[in-house]
Amino acid sequence: MDQQIRVGFEKDDRLDRSRRIEWLDTKKISESSALVLGAGAIGNEVVKNLILSGMTRLAIVDFDIVQRSNLARCVFFTEIDALQKSMKAEALARAASSLVPGTMIEPVIGRVEDLPIDLYKKHDIVLGCLDNFNARLHANSHSRFARVPYIDSGMQGAIGKVFVSLPNGPCLECASNITHSKIAALRYSCTGTSVSFYMPLVPAEITTTSIVSAMAVREGLRLLSSKAPPLEGQMIYYDGLRSILDIMQVDIDPNCPNHS
Amino acid sequence: MELSTVLKIKNAETGSTVDMELEPDNTINEIIESAASFWHKDPGAYVLRKGKKVLSASITVKESNLISGDVLELIPDPEGG
Repeated sequence: MDQQIRVGFEKDDRLDRSRRIEWLDTKKISESSALVLGAGAIGNEVVKNLILSGMTRLAIVDFDIVQRSNLARCVFFTEIDALQKSMKAEALARAASSLVPGTMIEPVIGRVEDLPIDLYKKHDIVLGCLDNFNARLHANSHSRFARVPYIDSGMQGAIGKVFVSLPNGPCLECASNITHSKIAALRYSCTGTSVSFYMPLVPAEITTTSIVSAMAVREGLRLLSSKAPPLEGQMIYYDGLRSILDIMQVDIDPNCPNHS
Repeated sequence: MELSTVLKIKNAETGSTVDMELEPDNTINEIIESAASFWHKDPGAYVLRKGKKVLSASITVKESNLISGDVLELIPDPEGG
């Protein structure tokens, strides 16, 4: 017997338009889970893009509270969240879950440096949406140890970058140098505990956030779909004021601690 | 005796350039540090690129196959999220 369909059935399928994209495997994406580190501006956009692409299982990690200055670039946070000083991970998980019913988002309140390795191993992909290099390098090395792809994103004003690190390829630390070490040294005392110091607030606005987040999620979807090779070991560099979008190769640094 | 190499370093944020004289065993780290100091860069992270390649910090000028006249660009590595 021939299969029977109802006229207009495709309009009732939430992911109908996504299923028409050849390289996008919506089934694999819906069966995958992501660990999103950081629930700030990039984290908000990344989560939005992931769940609208059909991903239904995520964990979001952040230790911070929502402040009013976050609201200009964090799509899921509200004035009420700022007034109530909601935890970012919880506010984001709550709002994102209501955007796509059935989505299971686990908020994790805590610092990236304190996460158990098992949390990395439970997920198919890690997206770094962090605001400091120490946490990034930590996430980078732990993702490698857990054998989970790590996609790092960062922004500052009109500049943004996305870096894709697969377990056997060049990693974020391979692209680091003495300037990253100096920042790390500023954050920690000689006893290894974190210290307070003055760092200028990072200029940020939503258009850079949106572009960087979209590029990061695109690379994640390519990885999970396995139909279009991701930009392994490459850095996507965006400069909005110079209208530059570049892809730069990062080689394995022979002295990188993750490769020696 | 090996000759020194003179590279042109470009500040991506301003477009200005400076010529930097280097010995073969100078590292990419040293170039980044000197360039950031010369331009009085704020505390922050930067990477050095040659064309479409990010140069590894620990390798030397000789290992990088850099030659006089090469142009390297110092670009900010954005930290915000």
